[in-house]
Amino acid sequence: MSGFSGYIASRMIGDSRVPQHIQNMVIREYCRQRGLTFKLSATEYAVPHCYLMLEKLVDELPAHDGIVAYSMFMLPRRAERRRALYDRILSAGCALYAACEDLALTCEEDARRWEDILAVQHALHPEQS
Amino acid sequence: MNDHIPQSQRAFFADDEAELANAFLDGVHIIRPAEDRTALDRIQAHLAATAAGILDVAVPDEPTEFLDTIHDRVTVDRLNDFRLAVFRALNDQDWLRPAYLAVARKAIETIVGNELAMQRRVNLSIQLPDDDSSLLPVHADVWSGDSPYEVVLWIPMVDCFATKSMFIAPPDIDRAVQDRFTEFEGKTAEDVWREIEPHVRFLEVPYGSYLLFSQNVMHGNRINREATTRWSMNCRFKSVMSPYADKRLGEFFEPVTLRPATRLGLDYRLPGGFEE
Repeated sequence: MSGFSGYIASRMIGDSRVPQHIQNMVIREYCRQRGLTFKLSATEYAVPHCYLMLEKLVDELPAHDGIVAYSMFMLPRRAERRRALYDRILSAGCALYAACEDLALTCEEDARRWEDILAVQHALHPEQS
Repeated sequence: MNDHIPQSQRAFFADDEAELANAFLDGVHIIRPAEDRTALDRIQAHLAATAAGILDVAVPDEPTEFLDTIHDRVTVDRLNDFRLAVFRALNDQDWLRPAYLAVARKAIETIVGNELAMQRRVNLSIQLPDDDSSLLPVHADVWSGDSPYEVVLWIPMVDCFATKSMFIAPPDIDRAVQDRFTEFEGKTAEDVWREIEPHVRFLEVPYGSYLLFSQNVMHGNRINREATTRWSMNCRFKSVMSPYADKRLGEFFEPVTLRPATRLGLDYRLPGGFEE
């Protein structure tokens, strides 16, 4: 275990574009406030619906303590795909954080909370999927 | 009281719902006794105990008196750090938001709906007597990123009245001023205040009651010229499926009462795969 990897986007997050250095600043500050050791960030490929970098970070667990994503809205659109990611992260004894939303996913109940937010957001804004 | 409910819908409202809805639309606010006094007292007691802990003094037997006189223990230059410390400690409590909603739950369900998104952190205001560092100039929250579908549940932790309370513009004055808002180009929020000042009402909201208002109308506070300190909390609610503005789902709002039919709808996938 050696700290948390950042996860930033190179494509739109919902209807917003956030420069990568700003995403990194937010993640670094979030880690500082939470007392989390921050390692480098991985940048997701710009190809729509591609999650190769996220899959790589999850595959590497538990080599690091977990992942700090810039936003929860960077996660895959399909609920079953997110579910599989949560299961792999939690079964590795690791955690997922969303810096922008200040939300932690460290247990099954957290996963339900995240899914309620994401499901409503996708229902209200299917065009952002 | 005006009847704002269309005749075609009136029969769908119970009398007490119609009365509340009309009162809210008449004044864009209501002030009512707390629906769950136990929940309110728990919040107040925890607030006072938290503040006492931060100040390293004994937990008070009389929370209202302790809070009212906090200016004897906290100076203006320490006020914001103190407020933030209390705010963080309060919001760390898992029970806080359910208790907060319980204070006005039936009214909110009547005015907003029973499927709610709630602000993730309950705000705390402390206004010491004669302190000009904690003022909220006249504003409507919709001007700064809130959705017009939101309401604010404002709960005093002490008796709030006159300048110790907040003011709100009457709906007709508010509408008239917002309709000619471009006339204020090049001026300041203080000019807007001077325009509405003769008409505003400082709301009398004693401890044990709550204020529910639409933040689409202008409101704010002035220097507290009363002898005691104001403590109030506020939190926004909206119907979970109504439009969001810049205060987004996830970072600002969170669903708290999703209903079964909505859960089924969110989970449903239409069968597919047929070829023409």
